[in-house]
Amino acid sequence: MTLDAAVSSALAAAPPDAQASDSGGRPVRSLRRQAIHDTLSNKRARAGLVWISIVAFAGVFAPFLANSYPFLIKIDGRISSPLLRHLSRLDIVLLIALAAAIIIFSRRHVRVSVKWAAFATIIAAAALGSRLFHAPGTNVYDTYRQLQRDGKIQWAVYAPVRFSPNDRMRDQPALRLTPPSRHHLMGTEANGADVLSRIIHASRIALAIGLIATSIAVVIGVVIGGLMGYFSGRVDIIGMRLIEVFEAIPSLFLLITFVAFYGRNLYLIMAIIGLVSWTGDARFIRAEFLRLRKQDFVQAAIAGGLPLRSILFRHMLPNGISPVLVSASFGVASAILSESVLSFLGLGLVDEPSWGQMLNQALNVGGAFTWWIAVFPGLAIFLTVFGYNLIGESMRDALDPRLHGIA
Amino acid sequence: MLSYLLRRLLLVIPTLLGITAVVFFVMALAPGGVGASLLTHEGQMNPQQRRAMEQYLNQRYGLDKPPVVQYLRWLNKVSPFGYRDRADAKRGLPWFKSPDLGESFSRQRPVTALISESLPITLLLNVVTIPIIYTIAILTGIQAAKRRGQLFDVGGGTILLGLWSLPTILSGVLLIGFLSNQEYLRLFPTNGLHDIQADAMTFLPTTAGGSFQRGWLLDTLWHLVLPVVCMSYGGFAFLSKLQRGAVLENISLDYVRTARAKGLAEKEVLYRHVFRNSLIPLITVAANLLPALLAGTVVVETIFGISGMGRLMVEAAFVRDRELVLSDALVIGLVGLIAYLLADICYVVADPRVSYDA
Repeated sequence: MTLDAAVSSALAAAPPDAQASDSGGRPVRSLRRQAIHDTLSNKRARAGLVWISIVAFAGVFAPFLANSYPFLIKIDGRISSPLLRHLSRLDIVLLIALAAAIIIFSRRHVRVSVKWAAFATIIAAAALGSRLFHAPGTNVYDTYRQLQRDGKIQWAVYAPVRFSPNDRMRDQPALRLTPPSRHHLMGTEANGADVLSRIIHASRIALAIGLIATSIAVVIGVVIGGLMGYFSGRVDIIGMRLIEVFEAIPSLFLLITFVAFYGRNLYLIMAIIGLVSWTGDARFIRAEFLRLRKQDFVQAAIAGGLPLRSILFRHMLPNGISPVLVSASFGVASAILSESVLSFLGLGLVDEPSWGQMLNQALNVGGAFTWWIAVFPGLAIFLTVFGYNLIGESMRDALDPRLHGIA
Repeated sequence: MLSYLLRRLLLVIPTLLGITAVVFFVMALAPGGVGASLLTHEGQMNPQQRRAMEQYLNQRYGLDKPPVVQYLRWLNKVSPFGYRDRADAKRGLPWFKSPDLGESFSRQRPVTALISESLPITLLLNVVTIPIIYTIAILTGIQAAKRRGQLFDVGGGTILLGLWSLPTILSGVLLIGFLSNQEYLRLFPTNGLHDIQADAMTFLPTTAGGSFQRGWLLDTLWHLVLPVVCMSYGGFAFLSKLQRGAVLENISLDYVRTARAKGLAEKEVLYRHVFRNSLIPLITVAANLLPALLAGTVVVETIFGISGMGRLMVEAAFVRDRELVLSDALVIGLVGLIAYLLADICYVVADPRVSYDA
C-alpha cells in the first residue's frame, strides 16, 4: 500500500546520517525511521492499515471472492474450473503482479532500483502477454445455475459470494431490489446484481484511483515545487500564480469539466485527479527546498558541478520529502472521494462497479429509498477514506518534532 | 495597507486570466469540441438546418477560428474595456463597454441572468454554513485543548477525523433517505429551498385564518436544515482540530503564564487572551475553506435538488455549454479570490501586529 511504498522509498532515500551514532556510540534512529516506527505503533494508524489491507485483499482476489462461476465443478464425471477459465485480463495481470512483488521484494541483497526494474518488466510482460493470448469471451452467468437446477452437476465448489458483479440474474427477474437476505447478504440493486459482489469488485477502482492519482499528483508537485524552491525568484513568482490558479478553481469543478469533455476513461480520470491535486504537494516541497537550498550539503553539490537532476532529486528531495508523505496519505483519501463523487454525479465509469455510482442508485430508484444500496457502499468509501486519514494523521504527528517534546 | 490591497487586487487579474484560460483550453482541445453536442441535437436536424446552425454558431462564437482567437474573442467580450463592435461604438467612453458574458448554448438565456439566479442561492447556503462551522469549531477546539489527553480530547479527535472522512454523498443520501423519504420519517422536505407556495406566504409565521402558517422565513430555514448539516460537519471537524492545535501552541507561551500569575480566571485567560491569538490559523484556512465549500455545494445541491451555482456548473459541463462553464469558473474564481483578500483584511483586525506596509 502507500505506506509500504512510502516506507520503502523513505528507507531507500534515507539521508546520509541515517546510520549515524551519537557521542556515546549508540546507534541513533534518524527522524524518519523514528517517524515510521511511531506511525506503525499508533493504534489508530494500525486500525487504518488493517482496513486498507482488507480492501486491498478484496481488490486483488476479487474474482475468487465473488464469482458466478464455480471454482471447481464436476459434470458428467469431468472436473473443470470455469472460474479460472473466465478470469479477465486484469485479474491475470493483477495476480502475476502480486506474485512477482512477493518474490522480488522478499529477496535481500538486491539493489532497490534493480528490484523495481524487474517488477516493472514483469508487469509489462504480463499485460502484453495477456493482451496477446487472452481471447475475450461472452459471459453467460446463469449457465451453471441452470445446470444446477437441471441436476446435471455432481458437485461444485463456489466462491464465498456466488454472484459476479455484473451478473444481472436474468434467470430470476424477481430478485431486483431485494433487501439483504441469506442469499444476497447486502441485497440486490435495480438490475438484480448482488451488492456485496459489486462492492468487492469496486474496491479495485477505489484503490487504483487513490494510489495512481496520488502518485501523479506527487510527481507533478515535487517537480514544480522543487524547481520553484530551488530557483526561487522569478520562477517562484510564476509558479505561485500557477498554484493560485489551480487552487482558485475548486478542483471538483475542474474535474467535472475535464471528464464531461474528455469522456469516461479510468486512466484519464486518474490522470485528471492527479492533475488537479498537485498544488498542496508543490507548496510543501517549495517550502522545504527554500529552506534547504542555502544549506552546506546543497551548496557542496552545486560546487561539485552535479547536474540539476541530481541536486534536486538525489540530494535535496530525500531531506524534504517528509511533509509530502503525509499529504500523500491524505491525498489518497481525497482522490478516492473525488472518484466517488464523480461516479455519484454520473460522470464515472459505466460498466465497472464503483462505490460512488452505487450510492447514486440508492436515490434514483423511483422515489423509494433502498437503504442497503446506500449504506454498504457508502460505508466502504467512508472506512477507506477514514483509514487513509488515520494513517496520514499519525504520520503527521510522528513527523512533528514539536509534539515529541510535549507528549 | 492600501498599497498592499492594491497590489493584491492587481494580482487578481493574471490569476483570473489563468483560471479562464485553463478552463477554456480544456474545453477547446477536447475531441468533438464545444459545438458537437449542439449540432447532433437528438439527430433531428436535416443537412440544411445543420449547416445553417453551424454557420450561426461560427459567426456568433467564432467556432471555426483557432482556439487562441476564440479565447481572445471571449476575453474581449467579457472584459469591461476593449475592442467594441461597431454597433455600440457610438455610445459611452471609447474602449469602455459593458461586460457581456454571452448566452448559454443549452438554455438559450443570457448567462448573466442564469448566474444572478443561482449565485445568491449558493451564497445563502455558504453564509448560513460558515458561522455555524466557526462557532462549533472554536468551542470544541478550545474544550479539546483544555482537556488535552483526556477522553474528550482523544475520543473527540477520532470522531472529528471520522466526520471529516465521512463523504457528503453518503451523509446526504442517508439523511434525505431516512429523514425525508415517505417510507421512513417525513421530517424534512426532499427538494429545493422553498415550498411551491412559498411566494404566497407571509414573511413571518402567522396564525391568521385559524391555523398556523409557516411563513417564508421558517419555510426557508426548514428547507435549509439538511443541506447545511451536510455542508458544515466536514468543515468544523477540520477547523476544530486546527483550533485545538493553535490553542495548545499558545497555552505554553509566556504571556499565558503571566496572565495566570497575575490571578486572572482560567476562563478569562482562555477566552480573552488565548482565543484571539489562536484565531490566526483559522483565518488563514478561511480563504481555502470557501472554494472547498463552493465545491461541496455541487454534491449538496445535486442531492437536495437546489438550483445553485454547483448544479448549474455540473449541468453546463454535461451538455458542453461553453459560455456557461466559462462564466461559472470566472465567478467562482472571483469569489475565491475575494475570500483570500477578505482573509488578509481579517488578519489585521484579529492581530494588530500584522502590517502589510513594506
